[in-house]
Amino acid sequence: MSFTEKLKGLFTKKKKPEKIVTGNAKIDTETSLWERIKAKYFNMFFVKKLGWVIFRLVLLIGISYVIIYPYFSKITTSLMAREDFVDTTVLMIPRNWTLDTYKAIINDNKYFTALFNTTTLSLLCGVSQTLVCAIVGYGFAKFKFKFKGILFLLVIFTMVVPHETIRQAMILRFRYLDLIGIIPQLNGWIFNMFDGGTISPETYEKFTDFIGLIPNALNTYWPMAILSLTGLAFKNGLYIFMMRQYYRGVPDELEEAAYVDGAGVIKTFVRIILPMSTAMMVTIFMFSFSWQWTDTFYTDLFMPASGGNILLNNIVSIPKSLDTEYAGQMAYETAIRNGCGILILIPLLIMYLFGQRTLIEGVERSGITG
Amino acid sequence: MDKALKTNEQATVEVKPLKVKKRKAKSLEKQKSTFGWLFILPFLLGFFLIYLPMIVSSIQISFSTIAYEDIGQVLTWCKPLFTNYSNALLKEADFTKTLVECLGGMAFDIPAIIIFSLFMAILLNQDMKGRAAFRAIFFVPVIVSTGIIESIDLQNTLAQLGDQVSNLNGDGVEGAVNTGTEIINAIDVERFFGSMKIGSELAGIVSGWANNVYNIVNRSGVQMLIFLAALQSISPSIYESCKVEGATGWETFWKITFPMISPMILVNLVYTIIDSFTTKSNVMMSFITTASNEANGKPLGTAMAWLYFLIVILILAICTAFASLFVFYQRREK
Repeated sequence: MSFTEKLKGLFTKKKKPEKIVTGNAKIDTETSLWERIKAKYFNMFFVKKLGWVIFRLVLLIGISYVIIYPYFSKITTSLMAREDFVDTTVLMIPRNWTLDTYKAIINDNKYFTALFNTTTLSLLCGVSQTLVCAIVGYGFAKFKFKFKGILFLLVIFTMVVPHETIRQAMILRFRYLDLIGIIPQLNGWIFNMFDGGTISPETYEKFTDFIGLIPNALNTYWPMAILSLTGLAFKNGLYIFMMRQYYRGVPDELEEAAYVDGAGVIKTFVRIILPMSTAMMVTIFMFSFSWQWTDTFYTDLFMPASGGNILLNNIVSIPKSLDTEYAGQMAYETAIRNGCGILILIPLLIMYLFGQRTLIEGVERSGITG
Repeated sequence: MDKALKTNEQATVEVKPLKVKKRKAKSLEKQKSTFGWLFILPFLLGFFLIYLPMIVSSIQISFSTIAYEDIGQVLTWCKPLFTNYSNALLKEADFTKTLVECLGGMAFDIPAIIIFSLFMAILLNQDMKGRAAFRAIFFVPVIVSTGIIESIDLQNTLAQLGDQVSNLNGDGVEGAVNTGTEIINAIDVERFFGSMKIGSELAGIVSGWANNVYNIVNRSGVQMLIFLAALQSISPSIYESCKVEGATGWETFWKITFPMISPMILVNLVYTIIDSFTTKSNVMMSFITTASNEANGKPLGTAMAWLYFLIVILILAICTAFASLFVFYQRREK
């Protein structure tokens, strides 16, 4: 079909397929169009339905506006030139469009290094957290063992304790990290007991040499990796809970069939259960990836900006090449910071665009109701 | 005869593996329990080797004072053991005030979040045009609005406050550009109501409400997802039979939908309480952070955090106990 024909086709109405006239259809043709419209649209049922549809649409659009507006305003203000911030006639849309802000942020704040580092860290954390939470959740869902209820309460406990409570302790813990974990804690207590609360430096050094400490785990990926691999990182209690609820919905017969066919527990898990729960795992991966991406608590704690290992949340600062000494300085600086935020979020939003369908499907299919 | 023999043989053959099976079944159960331990091993290791020591040392910090010496921090027990706690409760003037303010805010926010997310989940579950697009927009906050945007907003408000303090006489040169996350500025509302001669206080209240709506929408993403999952799991045949019996939409909601998702209301209640009490933007959390960032403030801050945690646990227990009275379980646990 040529283009012009297509165009014609758009403007000429297609003929309706002729109705087969039977006995009953005659009545249909006898009632006038007006009568039919009246019967269809002028009754309480239709009016109610229409009212509901309009109400729903207005509400949904309104709330979508509420959600999108901050991002929209942040993007537009970060595209404004310096002069626009003192111009009272400029409200939302810039008069002088410019990309200088973004250029300066990318060049001065080492955006791409930070992007690479954060991507590495988030991928590392996302993958390991997803796997570990799936394994632990499966253990809680499908096996009977002693103290199961109490141990699951511990999972909930890790969710409830605010980070702030263990912040100091976490710094102390990972400042002198060792592989056996509990020993410096123990020797700290022992010294406290014997020396009346003070540790003499020499004995402490002897001890640390003996155990073979990694001198300082801050500014490395170790703390995050360890927390992720043990299911203790940000909101991992929630992931374990979700995976457990999902696996509880999986019928036992499936595994029994696998056992009968001669597969072991681990083989069943790897070959049958894991591939089956891909949707749920994608959901959890997206949660953990994006929450790690935007996390400031753990990254500030373990990788402070001074440490040289630049992450995305360290780039929020005013670039030196931009001259902000100006009448509208505060508004301009705010806009620059917001521009940093937009630059941080853009990769995440792109990922979300591709993954959102899987995310929602995964949660829908999870059967959290159990 | 041959046939009978064969069946006999078969019978005897069948008996033997049955016996073996019985013995195997016992060991299988044991085996399965050890596999259970194996599967939750990562969490157990992490909890007992990393998390529990952290909790213990955190409690220890809250009961002691920190001195800085050559080798680092040295902890000594406080002389009256509860010094930090009594300091937090009695000497810090703002602690109890902030706590009451925080609890008051939560008393409004938590029911609002749950009702809103339930309502929106029901809307988003209905068949309509553009449902996928609306869903995509509604779950953007789940992905995006954690730490970083909050901290940027915090920096912005701090900068603005600093600016206000440094040039108090600056009379609104800042222009009209709305740079924050506020949906509606108090200025906008004042302009809007300007002709009606409405005071600035009322304008402030109206804009406060509008921005609270934004806050609630932003915080109810995960809850909406959970409710949506719960709504999807209700079998449509129940609704069909309801329709046949002639129930209205209102009745269907209260008699079917509400009881069926009531377990998820409990889950969401717990999640919302935990989430809103432990986010960074919480008044109390930021108060504790600033307190522990002060010189020698770590023990005091940790003590405050533990007090706060105890209160949160108490509220959580009361709310859960109260809500679980109304929860309907379709099938009981085995």
